[in-house]
Amino acid sequence: MFVKFPEGEAKRTDPTTAGGVVYDAVIVGGGIAGALIAARLGAAGKSVLILDAGPAEDLTLRGYESYLDRFYSATNKDNQSPYPVNPNAPMPRGTDARRIFPGVPDSSAYIVQSGPFATDTTYTRVLGGTTMHWEAKTPRMLPEDFQMRSLYGEGADWPLTYEDLAPYYNEAEYEIGVSADVDDQSYLGITFDDDYVFPMQGLPLSYLDQVVARDVDGMPVELDGVQRELRVRPWPQGRNGVPNPAYNGGEGYVPEGAVSTYQVEVGERCQGNNNCVPICPVQAKYHAGKTLARALQNPQVHLVGQAVAYKVHVDEHTGRVTEIEYRRYDKPDSAHFTTERARSRLFVLAANAVENPRLMLASGLRGSNGLMGRNFMDHAYLLAWARLPEPAGTFRGTNCTGGITELRGGRFRRRQAAFSVDIHNDGWGWARGAPMSDLADLVDAGGRYGESLRQGLVDRVSTQLLLAFMVEVPANPSNRVTVDPAYTDHLGNMRPILTYDIPDYTMRGVAYARQLSKRIFARLGAEDHTQYDPSFWGYAVYGGEGYEIRGGNHLAGTHMMGHDRSMSVVDKDQRSWDHENLYLVGGGSMPTVSTSNVTLTIAALSLRSVRAMLDQLAKESAPIRVTSEARAQGLPREVTL
Amino acid sequence: MTPDALEDFLSLSVDLTAFERTDLLGTGLARQYLAKVRDACGEDVVTALLEAHRAARTEAAEDGARPDPQRLDRALRHRIFSEERLGPVARNVIKLWYAGTWYGLPPEWTDSYGAQPAAETSTVTAASYQEGLLWRAIAANPPGAKAPGYGAWARPPAIEDRYLKGRSHDRTG
Repeated sequence: MFVKFPEGEAKRTDPTTAGGVVYDAVIVGGGIAGALIAARLGAAGKSVLILDAGPAEDLTLRGYESYLDRFYSATNKDNQSPYPVNPNAPMPRGTDARRIFPGVPDSSAYIVQSGPFATDTTYTRVLGGTTMHWEAKTPRMLPEDFQMRSLYGEGADWPLTYEDLAPYYNEAEYEIGVSADVDDQSYLGITFDDDYVFPMQGLPLSYLDQVVARDVDGMPVELDGVQRELRVRPWPQGRNGVPNPAYNGGEGYVPEGAVSTYQVEVGERCQGNNNCVPICPVQAKYHAGKTLARALQNPQVHLVGQAVAYKVHVDEHTGRVTEIEYRRYDKPDSAHFTTERARSRLFVLAANAVENPRLMLASGLRGSNGLMGRNFMDHAYLLAWARLPEPAGTFRGTNCTGGITELRGGRFRRRQAAFSVDIHNDGWGWARGAPMSDLADLVDAGGRYGESLRQGLVDRVSTQLLLAFMVEVPANPSNRVTVDPAYTDHLGNMRPILTYDIPDYTMRGVAYARQLSKRIFARLGAEDHTQYDPSFWGYAVYGGEGYEIRGGNHLAGTHMMGHDRSMSVVDKDQRSWDHENLYLVGGGSMPTVSTSNVTLTIAALSLRSVRAMLDQLAKESAPIRVTSEARAQGLPREVTL
Repeated sequence: MTPDALEDFLSLSVDLTAFERTDLLGTGLARQYLAKVRDACGEDVVTALLEAHRAARTEAAEDGARPDPQRLDRALRHRIFSEERLGPVARNVIKLWYAGTWYGLPPEWTDSYGAQPAAETSTVTAASYQEGLLWRAIAANPPGAKAPGYGAWARPPAIEDRYLKGRSHDRTG
């Protein structure tokens, strides 16, 4: 499908003129949550203003190719390498992480880390948000993930059930364009409607997955008295595959291609570039720019870029949000900005689970229960790597096509964290910088050149196997995002301060994961090369053993939803308990991060919240009056209903 | 740049990489790589490296025949890889062809022979990453370019047979 980003749209809306308009909704953030909500509200005839912190550039093929060019030219190809450094909307980078020493916060990078655990977690601040660099794995959460407290006494319960969210998972899979097969994805209680098929057929497993499956399928594992058999299972993927003709009762599915260009060599099905993270070169992978380009076809949906939200203003009597004050920078390389205001009936913060609470706390809005920013979650990744007895090939296919999911759920979660396992198609890259580190080692230390170098590369790289255990981290109020006026960015915005520790519950899962990896390697006849370096920034000791723990970029939990306003920040519609016309959407609303990559659930929650927003807009139709005196004096203007 | 220097650089590169001259020319980067080595190390070093390589080939070839591989290996180790000034540069040329990145020379090298302005780690052009020989050696595409097509990943990697059969003991592992 050809969708062109409307030409000039990124600069069309004049911020000052827009400040004189009362929109139905102002949305902070042009990532997947903001884009989906903007598209749906616009389609329902509502006026929408999106504020995005990234550069105000149209999404064009040339712009996308400039990302690629930056990636190709970068000596360090980390997951932000395609995206321009922008001091006005700084991004955390994986390379920022440093070991934290007690009592000494690391403020060398955008996120100030006060520890005790350091994380390399990141997010991307350009149009399309972190879906520009996401891997696009889209598993649903398990039904039990929504009832962790009542079933297992760990973490928190959701005010929603799997059944409540299932119809929105269907919609999210449509919006993202998910390739998967229902048979592969029905496990541990995940169910689908009787006639449901995914929009596109599942992507084939990599040859490496198949080699692993030969030995791992049927491997018995007993945990907490329950026997299970492991199997290699394909992951559902948010990238274009072969459309399923049976989709939607036989209507089929038309994939969304690359934005602003005809689908000749790009935009069609995945070509196996092995580069989902940090950028799919052909836009076979979904990114929220696709949704934005569609949303902005609607003349009622406006966008102001280079707009960094500075403060949420609240009427102190009613608690309602009156406006969002933002700083609009002139150019990415200049700190000059103008202060602008955006006003609407509803306000939607869709900036992500770090930026949403950062903005609220910088506005002095800690929440009546003090929970704003608390219960930060991410996945704790444990990597284990080995050499297979035969070359199975690396760096082929998407970053990850298959994995092991049997330990995502079960009653063992009373005692230890669950995890899912990724079989990485990119060798030891994540753990040890393969294949460039192998090349350097073979040449510099091994004295290899010519034929012996080529042989060495096959022996060393084509036999690599890396398992990534994505271990759940339960909500803990001490893990939190805060702000401090001592730490500000280029534009004077307070930077997020992250306080984060990995609980023993998670470490028990980590320790178990390491033991399981040894068994898997033994079954494969693979040579275990896993070694955890005590000087690694994310080194954590548990039970006398040390582990390297990495972040997952799966931010969650900082404005948790709940039944009870004293125990949560938003309700099940992601509406703030304190501010009735404010929605905080995204991973921050999730009470458990469990063992799913968060984006699909973020999308489903966002689509679900649109209903509540439309209901609220229908109820609150009274005209909004702007007090003219305040306006004339240039003071913060009050908006009352 | 003289045509002879390019020919000599290609001849050196064939011995260093075990890729054919046509493969190296096919990257379209041979001239830029030679220029990069000159910019990063200086003309004298490049001239000395190419001379040492010619001498190694001559030493390894008796009576004008093709060089004997074992004698060439010995000559390259003695004349180039173990040589203080030329060894690190030769290893960098290998990595340049394989990774498309010029790696900064070790500090002990620049301490002895001086740092050129273009000596630090850099990619030569955006294309050099895509043309890295490393990816061909492991039968993969450079991540983000030269995609093999939908589903190609489900088949075994097309690694040349001679590297599958003759797997040698890994001395560096």
